[in-house]
Amino acid sequence: MSAAAAALPLQRRTRSGSLRVFLRRNPRLLVGGSIVAILLLAAAAAPYVAPYDPVATNVQDSLQSPSLRHLLGTDDLGRDVFSRVLWGARISLSVGVISVAIGFTVGVSTGLLAGYLGGTFDLLVMRVIDALLAFPALVLAISITAALGPQIQNAMIAIGIVAIPGYTRLTRGQVLTVRSQEFITAARTVGAPPLRIVLRHIFPNVTNTLVVQATLSTAFAILAEAALSFLGLGAQPPTPSWGQDIAYSARYLANLDWWMSAGPGLAIFLAVFAFNFLGDALRDALDPRLRRTA
Amino acid sequence: MTRYILRRLLLMIPVILLVTIGIFILIRLEPGDPVLTFAGEDRNPELLAALRHEYGLDQPLPVQYVIWLSHALRGDLGRSFQTNQSVVEAMAQRLPATIELGAAALLISIVVSLVVGTLSAVRRNSAVDLVATSATLVGVSFPSFFLGLILILLFAYVIPGHLLPPGGFVALTADVGENLRRLILPAVTLSTVSIAVNMRQIRSSLLEVFGLDYIRTARAKGLSERSVIASHALKNALIPVVTLIGIQVGSIIEGAFITETIFIWPGVGLLAVQAIPSGDYPVVQGVVLISALAYMFSTLFVDILYAWLDPRISYEGARA
Amino acid sequence: MATKLSRRRFLVLGSATALAVACAPSTGGAPGASASAGGGAAGAPQKGGSLTFALDSDISDLDPMLSALFVDRNIHYQMYDSLVRINAKGEIVPGLATKWTTSSDGKTVTFDLRQGVKYQDGTTFDAASVKWNLDRYRQKGSHRTGELAPVESVDVVDDHTVKVTLKTAFAPFLSILVDRAGMMVSQKVADAMGKDFTVHPYKAGTGPFVLTEAVKSDHYTLTRNPDYWEKDQGGNALPYLDSITFKPILDPNVRLTNVRTGQAQVLTRMSGKDIPTVKSDSTLTFVQTSAYGWDSMIPNRSPGALFSEARYVKAVSMAIDRDQLLNDGPAKGVGAVAYGPYAPSHFCYDPSFKPFAKADPAGAKKLIDDVGKGPLTFELLVPSGSPDTLQLAQLIQSQLKTAGITMNIKTELFNQIVKISEQHQQPGMSLYGWSGRIDPDQNTYDFVVTGQPNNDSAYSNPQVDQLMKQQRTETDQAKRKTDLQKAQQIFAVDDPSRVWYDFAASILLTAKAVQGLEAYPDQIARLGYGWLKK
Repeated sequence: MSAAAAALPLQRRTRSGSLRVFLRRNPRLLVGGSIVAILLLAAAAAPYVAPYDPVATNVQDSLQSPSLRHLLGTDDLGRDVFSRVLWGARISLSVGVISVAIGFTVGVSTGLLAGYLGGTFDLLVMRVIDALLAFPALVLAISITAALGPQIQNAMIAIGIVAIPGYTRLTRGQVLTVRSQEFITAARTVGAPPLRIVLRHIFPNVTNTLVVQATLSTAFAILAEAALSFLGLGAQPPTPSWGQDIAYSARYLANLDWWMSAGPGLAIFLAVFAFNFLGDALRDALDPRLRRTA
Repeated sequence: MTRYILRRLLLMIPVILLVTIGIFILIRLEPGDPVLTFAGEDRNPELLAALRHEYGLDQPLPVQYVIWLSHALRGDLGRSFQTNQSVVEAMAQRLPATIELGAAALLISIVVSLVVGTLSAVRRNSAVDLVATSATLVGVSFPSFFLGLILILLFAYVIPGHLLPPGGFVALTADVGENLRRLILPAVTLSTVSIAVNMRQIRSSLLEVFGLDYIRTARAKGLSERSVIASHALKNALIPVVTLIGIQVGSIIEGAFITETIFIWPGVGLLAVQAIPSGDYPVVQGVVLISALAYMFSTLFVDILYAWLDPRISYEGARA
Repeated sequence: MATKLSRRRFLVLGSATALAVACAPSTGGAPGASASAGGGAAGAPQKGGSLTFALDSDISDLDPMLSALFVDRNIHYQMYDSLVRINAKGEIVPGLATKWTTSSDGKTVTFDLRQGVKYQDGTTFDAASVKWNLDRYRQKGSHRTGELAPVESVDVVDDHTVKVTLKTAFAPFLSILVDRAGMMVSQKVADAMGKDFTVHPYKAGTGPFVLTEAVKSDHYTLTRNPDYWEKDQGGNALPYLDSITFKPILDPNVRLTNVRTGQAQVLTRMSGKDIPTVKSDSTLTFVQTSAYGWDSMIPNRSPGALFSEARYVKAVSMAIDRDQLLNDGPAKGVGAVAYGPYAPSHFCYDPSFKPFAKADPAGAKKLIDDVGKGPLTFELLVPSGSPDTLQLAQLIQSQLKTAGITMNIKTELFNQIVKISEQHQQPGMSLYGWSGRIDPDQNTYDFVVTGQPNNDSAYSNPQVDQLMKQQRTETDQAKRKTDLQKAQQIFAVDDPSRVWYDFAASILLTAKAVQGLEAYPDQIARLGYGWLKK
């Protein structure tokens, strides 16, 4: 499905119009982008705006329901849930960005090479990609993290690996379509070196699709990190992490101490929602051929 | 058609081989010494050595792999380090619970998404449509474990009378009513993501079909709107939906890991999640292998079904 | 979720912190000394009825020879009898052996066996069967070889007398026969079942209940042994109950809900946070007593390691506030503080031994200053996946901060931590406990004597080695007590081997109708005495 986009050579659409016009034409971009920007800001500013130290325990204040002093209440060690949610944004967003970067870099470069070189290399790469795709994504992420040990860095690597096949297939598909086109053949006949052809002529053709894919897979990465941490395979206490904090406090549900899970849970939702929303909006704006009948 | 299927099956062989190697290496990379788990508190070095030998852990890794693979080909996935149960038996025992949960979730997802999806396509841009499309976006972004916990909080603790239990399982054969009562929350939790995805797909493919010539013809012939939708539009719109349902086997499998954990639903997902921290290699290997195989074959099945439903797809070039 | 990553083994070792944290000394719960559910007020025991017991995890082996998990013992004790038993106070009393005599050099123990006892399959329990069992437990691949290592040989004297010869005098020997190493199984059943014996040892024991159904990871059903030899004080046949079903329910919330809603009637493992609620629940009976299990922080004391400096270990031990850990930590006040490995129910326990009764951050600071290498910073390895343990670690972290000690928490898989610590590679300390044993020696020796397999702190102190070896051969209990206490002063205070901070307690939470059960210090319920009030 993803490889559906046929290539009109070198679109310069976005450069010609100003950003403002672009945003006005796509109001959903503005909404999605703003939420993402707010989240990034919250993560960056956590050390300055969080009212309390996210890891300092204060057992006298434990298990307090939300109040003006503690906007989202406190956990069983008396830590401020709101502060932990703010700090947790740093973990979630950096996992999102870094693991997508891993998937993007590895996936795009193998996809470009496989598509361009073809032959045995292509065959080999695609079998490995098939093997990766043989696992449901989260099952693969769980297995890799389990293998490397329950640490947040390992969760990042695992999620990154899981993201690779998407980029490889997408890029390779695009390269295959572009490669046969006249201007590439022309460049080849002129004797341009392969790497240059790939970078100068082929890569720019797939960037729009890749940007969309990257945004959407950031949403997946955040959700996957939360799930891994929830299963005890990602971030470890006392590090504030949304998924881990939900798992940590889930046992208090039976005692009706709901607020410990509510803050991090809503935060995960908001972050995933924002990237999904932005991704959809980007797809419609950048890649009209992929636009759904809506 | 037969040639196409055969070709696809042949192509799967190297992939499956790669998958088994991958699984084996991955699981063996796991830190820690499993012997320490199943020896309990007894650290007697002779016992540890004897156990290591008994489970073949003193052999070189490639040898262990070949032994594991040859046993696996004969349907023997080894015994759990921890409970000494045969892995195949353990999975067979837990598979019905997983299948029941998966089937229930799939059913909920299909019914809800068909009804709401159709409604929102027919009444495009109405209030129903707006609510449904927003709900879709919320649905795909909502972490299932958080939803599960909210449901537990509400139905097991907050609403008086312990309406539904917070988790646990009673076999269908033991007590049908109790089984279904315990099934509700996990099945709803597991179905949410796929409801969202399905609904979106049904809506958009219906809208696409509405625009097609023969629907316009049908309308022009004066057929009732109801029969246009039912007999013409929906039928065609279902093609991509069938694909989607097949693809969801994957999300059901991975969702099962999380959902079964939250609701202590004793399926294969919970089996694996519990085996990981204790380094119970045979169990984790078994479950991951089975989920990969199930996923691969369901993808294959969908491809075949799709090819069969939609004659425009040529069998030969199917794999891009 | 707490239990989804149920580290079975971790549940065994990390007893107090992880689960039995919940446990408790004599405070609260049952006022007065009685740790028995229902007490004596309930009238004469009634026959009949069945119970469901909620286990905290699935069992591994029903064969006492191969069993490696604590949870298995919950079932063993209902199916099998052992040669000797303990009563609820932890004293050794007759079981299948009615009498025993130890030779003056302590090297031979002669057992008089109970007569007229039959295995559930009809075969006779006699001296030959005892020899066969003990020899079986000592064979290669048995999990009991370590416990029975002191045994040189087992000889049949006559049909009802067995002589056990030890390699050297070994004071804790009898206590070892209380548990799995002393449990008697029918040779006929074991031979007939072969490999399947470990899962389906039907009719294998002499105990009050017969295993009739074992569905792995789902349930285990035991029914009344109609030919059981033991009678109650009124001369009535035991047991009273018709059947017991054991169900593994891993999640503590779900387990408790099951008991609350009547789907189960007994549990022995619960989360500390629920203690206050169950105590005030009039439909439940909650009793507790001191258990043998302890929890500790295990420093790496090998030469060159940070904690080779004894004063650092002592500083940590001084800086932590054990009362706060117990009361505000996951135990929620149930359990007992620990300064060493001897539990309140051990004969050598000294209630006045409180070397670190009050947290002393200033004293700790001074010790660290004396070392003169700047502030103390170290890493604590904590098993991942148990919120209770993590909560406790974070509490310790904040306590140490007041003494200027920086403790960084690092989580790892439990068996990875054991592997690291066993090889003495932990950079700072590791956090885990011990499920506890009946004899204080078994709670101590392997942890403090040079080169022993459980000595994860690589501790070595010649004086301790000498005292611990000496008490093993001591036949006079008073002298043994002196040796043990002298050793404790060294390995817990003067040259500390680790930092002990709490004892588990044995918990018994039952539905109100369940009577006759007592909390034993080994945390295992003896359901043969239980009955249901109708």
